[in-house]
Amino acid sequence: MNDIYRTLPDEAERHRLLQSPLNGDGLMLLFEAGLLWLTTNQQYVNSLNVFPVPDGDTGTNMVLTMQAAFAEADQNRSTNVGVTGRHFAQGALMGARGNSGVILSQIWRGFSRALDHYETMDTGLLMRAMQEGRNTAYKGVVRPVEGTILTVMKDMTAAAEKALKENTSLSQMLVAIVAAGDESVKRTPELLPILKQAGVVDSGGMGLFYIFEGMLRMLQGLPLDSSGAVLRPLAELDLSNALEEIEEGQDYEVVIDFAPNGNFNLENYYDRLSDIGTSIQVGEGDGIYRMHIHTALDKRYEPIAYTESIGTVKKIMMENLQEQMNGHAKDENKLPLAAVNPGEVAVVAVSPGEGLSRIFASLGVAAIVQGGQTMNPSVKELVAAFENLPTDKIIILPNNKNIFLAAQNAAKVSAKKIAVIPTRNAPQGFAAMLRLIPDGTLEENEASMLEAINEVHTGEITIATRSVEIEGVEVEKGQVIALYDGKLVSSAATIEGAIDALFQQANLDAIERITFFYGEGITQQQVNKLGDHVREKYPDKDLEIHEGGQPHYQLIIAFE
Amino acid sequence: MTTQSNYQGSVYILPQAIKTVARNAALQSYGVISLAPANPAETVSRFFKKEADVGILVNAEEDGVSLELNLIVEYGLRIKSVADSVAESVKYSVEKTMGIPVKRVDVHVRGLRISNPD
Repeated sequence: MNDIYRTLPDEAERHRLLQSPLNGDGLMLLFEAGLLWLTTNQQYVNSLNVFPVPDGDTGTNMVLTMQAAFAEADQNRSTNVGVTGRHFAQGALMGARGNSGVILSQIWRGFSRALDHYETMDTGLLMRAMQEGRNTAYKGVVRPVEGTILTVMKDMTAAAEKALKENTSLSQMLVAIVAAGDESVKRTPELLPILKQAGVVDSGGMGLFYIFEGMLRMLQGLPLDSSGAVLRPLAELDLSNALEEIEEGQDYEVVIDFAPNGNFNLENYYDRLSDIGTSIQVGEGDGIYRMHIHTALDKRYEPIAYTESIGTVKKIMMENLQEQMNGHAKDENKLPLAAVNPGEVAVVAVSPGEGLSRIFASLGVAAIVQGGQTMNPSVKELVAAFENLPTDKIIILPNNKNIFLAAQNAAKVSAKKIAVIPTRNAPQGFAAMLRLIPDGTLEENEASMLEAINEVHTGEITIATRSVEIEGVEVEKGQVIALYDGKLVSSAATIEGAIDALFQQANLDAIERITFFYGEGITQQQVNKLGDHVREKYPDKDLEIHEGGQPHYQLIIAFE
Repeated sequence: MTTQSNYQGSVYILPQAIKTVARNAALQSYGVISLAPANPAETVSRFFKKEADVGILVNAEEDGVSLELNLIVEYGLRIKSVADSVAESVKYSVEKTMGIPVKRVDVHVRGLRISNPD
């Protein structure tokens, strides 16, 4: 809690200070109580904002205004209510934040003007202070909007006037003021349609109510620092971020709608529930109460049994949060694909492995279709990818010779303008991606990419699936073979041997950078060893190693 | 003049209309007592103008409007908070009701009215 809060005096001292008529110290205690209770409920008041103006955070603004007011009065303590009030109002004026803070400062300004020159405050003076506060606040606006903090102040003042006629005590008058404030806040949606649309009450009015309720709670000796047991209108129960609040071991979310028996005690209900679980919320609407709680697996039926003991259970919803969390985590693993605007050029890439997909995504691909050597995507899948993009200029990178035909057919079927860039492998696809200019025309991009794919050479390392002789190279089934730009160049017993043969074929003079994309069937350790081997033999080349995740090819190697 | 297009054709919103919305929002904003003439020329010409014209200047730009408000504010309020609120309020009303982006709102406090002597 904030530094400015002193330890509140003990009960006997409070009782002495709050004797009627109230002196300056007693008034300060009431102001402090109002501030504390408002602070306790600050987040709730903030949550009542319906439109982005004029206040972003009504609760926070009102708390800051009250803090400034209290700090000023605290530095100039006096047993005289007139002096105390003047400093309090002065502080409120200087620290007024936001629209509701400004109005609040006007209320205190009028309030304190009534106290001027008085030593103590009795019920008559409190009533006049309320009247002055109301009048001053209303003078600040030419066209007052009803259903706001002004209305609540007006209604509370009317209650004070009525209470004075009934010759009540100071605390009874405050009871009447708070009751009228409560009613008035509840009526605000009837007066201000925008509140009704949003299904909330006015936030500034609510804040003002909390200030006076805090004062009353002080008089009644009720706590000011806990709002755990707060009953909210059903519409205000916010369960959407419940998942973020999940705690270790609290795996189940239980929501129960119920109708309590006659003497329902909310505080007891909260107390018992807090033994069972966490994130407790209770809401009320049309006689139905809704309870929300997170519990551990073995306690998930306890809230139901307990609620049945105090009322009639209407409906139960139970969900395994851990499952939901896992679902969420999966969503987050989705590739960060590029967003496409209508009219821009978008790229669809066919990718054989997760690692390669991630690289494509990072290079600005707008959609990825899974597919490769032996798992060609269908024309339908490709067309679907085209149609799902919000633009009609699309480039497709098949990234495998076997997919060219499907890509061309898909391009014909689609109503959009599609350019097929015949990339035979992922490195060519990457090279093409580096040339993408989304704002450019489809033709420009196509020409530029076609140029790019010839600037990169690709090596592939895989295991022969059958014995064969191609272009003078004899291959035994199970041997490691190396391909350079799609042509078989060597067979060897080990990957290392195949790489050596491959590098001899490649024209390394013109090459600056070599990139390994390792796939299935090879461990990272093995790849690192191969990397060391290559770095040793070709120290002047840059070598990068990425996880490609592709099947069949242990390594795809890009030479640039 | 601000132009928007819809399926049927174009929508033209004249500065006068924007002024009316801005004026209402300003006058409903807490602490604003009235609008004030922006300059001596306006003081003279206000005799011939409609009420909604006084104190509000609208500048139509390519991608929105900028507004200037000239206000009389209640004495004894924190002027900065009042000015911030009225600017936000006017921006919100104009954008919400007319669909025109408000690029900026300049608030000129031309004077204070003392209605609560203390």
